[in-house]
Amino acid sequence: MINRVYFTVCCILSGVILLGAPNSVYATDDENCLMCHKYAGLGRYGKDENQNAKKRVFYVNEEQYKASYHGKLRCKSCHDGVEEIPHTDVEAVNCAKDCHLKDPSTGRDFSHKAIKKDLDFSAHGYKGSRTDEHMEDLPNCKDCHSNKAYQIGMDEQIASMKFIKICLECHESKEWTERFYRHMFYRASTRRSSKEVVALCSKCHADQAMMERHDLDVVVGFKDTFHGKAIVYGDEEVANCLNCHAPYGLGFSPHRVKSSRDDVSPVSPEHKLETCAQQGCHAGAKEEFASKGKVHASLQSAGRQARAGEEVSQAELAFQTWVLNLINLIYKILIVGVVGGLGMHRLLDLYASRRASKMGGHH
Amino acid sequence: MSHHGKKQRTFLRLTVSQRIQHVILFTSTGLLILTGFMLLGERWAIDLFGSAGNTIFYWRGVVHRIAGVAVTLVCLYHMVYVVVSEEGRSWLRDMLPRLKDGVDAGQNVSFMLGFRKARPKMDRFTYMEKLEYFSVYFGMFIVILTGTMMWTEWLWPKFYLDVADALHLGEATLAALAIIVGHIFTVHYNPHVYPMNKAFIDGQISEEIMLEEHPLWLDRLEAEEATATAAATEKDVEKRDDA
Repeated sequence: MINRVYFTVCCILSGVILLGAPNSVYATDDENCLMCHKYAGLGRYGKDENQNAKKRVFYVNEEQYKASYHGKLRCKSCHDGVEEIPHTDVEAVNCAKDCHLKDPSTGRDFSHKAIKKDLDFSAHGYKGSRTDEHMEDLPNCKDCHSNKAYQIGMDEQIASMKFIKICLECHESKEWTERFYRHMFYRASTRRSSKEVVALCSKCHADQAMMERHDLDVVVGFKDTFHGKAIVYGDEEVANCLNCHAPYGLGFSPHRVKSSRDDVSPVSPEHKLETCAQQGCHAGAKEEFASKGKVHASLQSAGRQARAGEEVSQAELAFQTWVLNLINLIYKILIVGVVGGLGMHRLLDLYASRRASKMGGHH
Repeated sequence: MSHHGKKQRTFLRLTVSQRIQHVILFTSTGLLILTGFMLLGERWAIDLFGSAGNTIFYWRGVVHRIAGVAVTLVCLYHMVYVVVSEEGRSWLRDMLPRLKDGVDAGQNVSFMLGFRKARPKMDRFTYMEKLEYFSVYFGMFIVILTGTMMWTEWLWPKFYLDVADALHLGEATLAALAIIVGHIFTVHYNPHVYPMNKAFIDGQISEEIMLEEHPLWLDRLEAEEATATAAATEKDVEKRDDA
């Protein structure tokens, strides 16, 4: 009797294990997190920092995760705690912690520490931000970065078929080699299109309430500039936000962006000319080109209090706005007058022709 | 030739040179309007181009510049033409505004309103045609100047470029609408020329339209013809006498 019960329990248990855990899970998930997190319905409603309901999804698609930048990392490499079930002991992910992964260039533990420090001292960081208030508005890593999959172009993928064969002459692991190849080609290409850059920056910089909290102009005029229009068409040659505000060519990076009112900013009066002329964009630009004007008009540009270090004074800005508005007004009047006059003349002419033909007076 | 089957006299309204100038002017202006206003497209409309957008944007710029150069050259050529060549000088002479144009305008409006029995008799160019012609000078001056500024953007202060941009756009909008309402309607939708005044193709104007629109010019041409015939007859007579 006991033997029969023991046999049945063994059968059920092995069935549960065999059915519930497909082979692939064992490949990387030695922590067995996917036992629960593979279910697409896993999630709950929590609260965000403003106490608003927020949907939280705890589902992890294994295939997508494995193809992502961090696909080689174990869950607990980033998620500290998670010893208890349910996970009440979980801590927020700290991107600046030391990874267990070795940086092949130094042999030491890899870390995003340095780049996080750059961010902290940039205009977007809590140390570089001009005010100490509304720190919750400042972007964190995840506001700009998601753990995406490496996406390389079709040409590179085709090239990889031959190239990886060469690599595999020496390197044993095909998976590692393919991953390395994808990493290199992905990083070597532009990862965000200009359209995506504008959309990303606009998430905050087109938010009027948030910009007001930080004494910043809402960027509304960029979409009407030549640069803005070209970007909407898909042009990648013209400048997007980062090409002027954080150009790699001039030693900046998106992580080291500075306030435009900061002397070292690439768009400060001292550096603007160099920024406009970089990469042959406006090669040969004269000093006047890069001065006395706004590249993108902003909602609060005119009429607000002058700020220290601002290149175009309020009086100048008011004058410029006045001139441009005047030109627009004159043309509006001209268009209504001329086109309306021409239209009236045409209508009168038609009326006269009709009358003439009705009276039989038309020749 | 008349469509009534009856042979009708026609007169030379536009010479070959004038027709070629006009073709270059309207093709390049059309392209300039199209490629220029593509910059004002709304995002959803531009998105319809999909992945071809970038290529379209590139060619938009190239075509706008080529057409800009073409229109500049034809304008410069025309300004030399009206001074240097005989037919150009006659064109400009007949085009210059006169006091009569003001009188014509007043009388024509009162005719159209029904206060007068007949239209005022007008010469080779009506007051509307003169207005259109000189508007092109004004408009071209502004768009060519500001267009050149924006093409050589590195030479100018940003604010000057903003002014150039505003003027370029304003003038282009005015010109485009004026051409549609003022010119296309006159030469295409006028009841007595519909579907189009073919003078821009064959250069000919019918006697019918001459009488309707340019009776004084018809008188002048007939007078000239009479003088020429008289002179020829006189020559013939002289020849016969010599013989």
